[in-house]
Amino acid sequence: MALRHMMVIRAFESGVASLKSKGSYGDLTYAYKGPAHLSIGQEAAAVGAAMALTPEDHIFGSHRSHGEFLAKGLAAIQRLGDNALTTIMEAHGNGALLRTVETHLAEETEHGLAENFLLVGLLAEMFMREIGFNGGMGGSMHAFFTPFGAYPNNAIVGASAGIATGAGLWMKSEGRDCIAVSMVGDGATGCGPVWEALNFAGMAQFERLWDNAGFLPVLFFFTNNFYAMGGQTNGETMSWDRLARIGAGLRDDAFHAETVDGTNPLAVADAVERKRHVLLEGKGPAILDVECYRFSGHSTTDVNAYRTKDEIAAWGAVDPIRTYRDSLVSEGILDTAAADAIQSEVDARMNAVFMAAADPETAPPPRLGIDGAGIGRKMFAGSETPSDGPAPEPLSDPEKVARIRQNARKSRGGRDANGEPLSPLKAITLRDGLFEAILHAALTDSRVIIYGEECREWGGAFGVYRGLADLLPHDRVFNAPISEAAIVSTAIGAAMEGGRPVVELMYADFIGRAGDELFNQLAKWQAMSNGLLSVPVVVRCSVGSKYGAQHSQDWSGLAAHVPGLKIIYPATPRDAKGLMASALASDDPVIVFESQRLYDQVELFKDEVPEGNYKIPIGAPDIKRAGSDVTVLTIGPTLYPALEAADLLAGRGVSLEIIDARSLVPFDYGQVLESVTKTGRLLLVTEACERGSFAMTLASNVTRFAFGALKAPPRVLGSPNWIVPGADLEHGYFPQPFDIEDAILTDLMGVAGHDRKGSRRWDDLALARSGL
Amino acid sequence: MARVELRMPELGNEITEAMIDAFLKDVGDEVSEGEEIVTITTPKVTMDLEAPASGTVLELLVEEDEIVAVGTVLAVIET
Repeated sequence: MALRHMMVIRAFESGVASLKSKGSYGDLTYAYKGPAHLSIGQEAAAVGAAMALTPEDHIFGSHRSHGEFLAKGLAAIQRLGDNALTTIMEAHGNGALLRTVETHLAEETEHGLAENFLLVGLLAEMFMREIGFNGGMGGSMHAFFTPFGAYPNNAIVGASAGIATGAGLWMKSEGRDCIAVSMVGDGATGCGPVWEALNFAGMAQFERLWDNAGFLPVLFFFTNNFYAMGGQTNGETMSWDRLARIGAGLRDDAFHAETVDGTNPLAVADAVERKRHVLLEGKGPAILDVECYRFSGHSTTDVNAYRTKDEIAAWGAVDPIRTYRDSLVSEGILDTAAADAIQSEVDARMNAVFMAAADPETAPPPRLGIDGAGIGRKMFAGSETPSDGPAPEPLSDPEKVARIRQNARKSRGGRDANGEPLSPLKAITLRDGLFEAILHAALTDSRVIIYGEECREWGGAFGVYRGLADLLPHDRVFNAPISEAAIVSTAIGAAMEGGRPVVELMYADFIGRAGDELFNQLAKWQAMSNGLLSVPVVVRCSVGSKYGAQHSQDWSGLAAHVPGLKIIYPATPRDAKGLMASALASDDPVIVFESQRLYDQVELFKDEVPEGNYKIPIGAPDIKRAGSDVTVLTIGPTLYPALEAADLLAGRGVSLEIIDARSLVPFDYGQVLESVTKTGRLLLVTEACERGSFAMTLASNVTRFAFGALKAPPRVLGSPNWIVPGADLEHGYFPQPFDIEDAILTDLMGVAGHDRKGSRRWDDLALARSGL
Repeated sequence: MARVELRMPELGNEITEAMIDAFLKDVGDEVSEGEEIVTITTPKVTMDLEAPASGTVLELLVEEDEIVAVGTVLAVIET
């Protein structure tokens, strides 16, 4: 079995290599345009690992994962019965791939058919065909098929480590009898997020504080082929002299790290089997350093400038397939004729598979719809999947928790009998609104888990969760290390496995520390999986104030720029509660921006913040003050200076209609266009730097959509394109009421000789020339 | 014999007031320095304030559920 599986991988990879280099393979002539990070030489590592794993064990691979994917699939097919295979194949894509395989690659046995299903599913995916495992939306580096336990491969080096760790987190939460495997290369030991994942998987709290004691069942399987791109890991680009030694720095048991002969499938299977046992006992995580050699280049553009022909030839002498085949023959397990027959069968099968997958009649490309927006419609699930499990039992009676008792005594509205705003200690605040929505989800949906750097005893960096730790055990709300990348990547992995994590990044400024995880992983898997996976993660991040250049930035525009994330930025307690409820219910990832200046904000617009759970749809802006002369569209906390400006301008007979955007993505323009059609003038106010801000996008689109109604070009008033200064200078940075008044009177209404009272007296054209 | 005051402490720039949740001691109770006397809540945290000295609680100067400003005298202890 191992020999044949290795031969299948070698034949597949050789076929792809041939297409890339010669434009043909066997009977097929085809120009394959996509990437080809081939694993010729690494077959024993992939096959050995898969032999020791069950279909319920999940692997998360790298960019070089054709072999790992095929090995896992072949091993799963081997273990699954005919009925299970039929059910799996029928269920995938309404059976379209199965029909194709049945028609063009018929087999006598269900297992033979399943192998063709696996091979065509992967190859058609690489060729961007609709019957590919991920509808052609993933391609070579992202293909996966979860029923065989093959979870997403990843084009970003090391990214699978954190996602696999999150999968392990959810497997532990559910008490499953299986493990998650992060399959990355030796080069990934140079990636910070991999170290964050290693640490996260072995956090002491799993053993010391959690009721279900035991570390995360994650195997960090490093396929060590000695090179990371053109750099040699051992001896050049890494400080370690042996990869397995990195475990020694993590814990006294060194995460059970071992170096394994990755040219021998049985050695690898033995090691993985032993580590799997350790993991299922809760004594992981574990590290395997699996040494093998990549005969093929990094990719097909690699000219092997970094290694010699002698080196490649020396490793060729211990080619894993020939070595293993020879050992089977010399031990009398297999005779040469039988081995040759296996090779012939594999080659013939592969030829037929390549022909079928490349044929546009058999495997047509995805249909993009008559409007061409077919891929766009794959970006979001747009659905909600309510919990069907029982509501989790809280640790204590919620009505006895101090925070909840205090909130019960508070006024639901934000004004006293005279219409004056109440103290935040006497009325429900934006912080309370967020808390109530999250509390409801936590108490009714066992899939909800909450973590971040200070979420338990501290109650979140700004007290949103205060009281939650009295109700929920450690596996529902816990403190994470200062590892933003791991916080987000583990949330993604847990969500892929069925959890609904709510994670906190203390400050929006820390988005940079989780850049890949937010922008390449969280944002993309819904679409890259062709909707097979959803990533229902809520990421909360506060937007700071008074803490200067690295703790006070509104980066909502940065998040809005990357397709695939829903983004909300509530400014009132009522909106915060209702939008958070929508975020928690959504099957899509949602980034929640929360202004620190507004945590104590009481409700000034509606009579009250409803006590029960309710949802406000993401994407709907809200008129906060009706008016007739100028539309002011605010993002986040700029609602409040805009209201002050409205009062100032009312004295001059100018009436502002103030619309609170509330959401950035999605965004329904209808209300804004209606307002602008009435007023003919639009000011957009944001605390983000003006250049590249989301307000600029809104302004540009409104200009197109309502051009005929405009009396003046829309004006964006944001923060200037320089650092946020410290507390005492903030008033000259974030837009203030006088700045809003100035912009309206001069830029939108053309009032001659207006005496500016705001601080913005600079020349925007001159600043732009200076890069400002 | 001296009178030692327990005042509402400064709790960071943002916090100007807090609510008295509960007194954990009554007038006439003996307290040791460092013993918790009163639970307060700010918008961000709930916390217990400790006796600044050992002695007898002489006066409790605010009411439970009352919102008090930073610096307000909450209790007096006679040492």
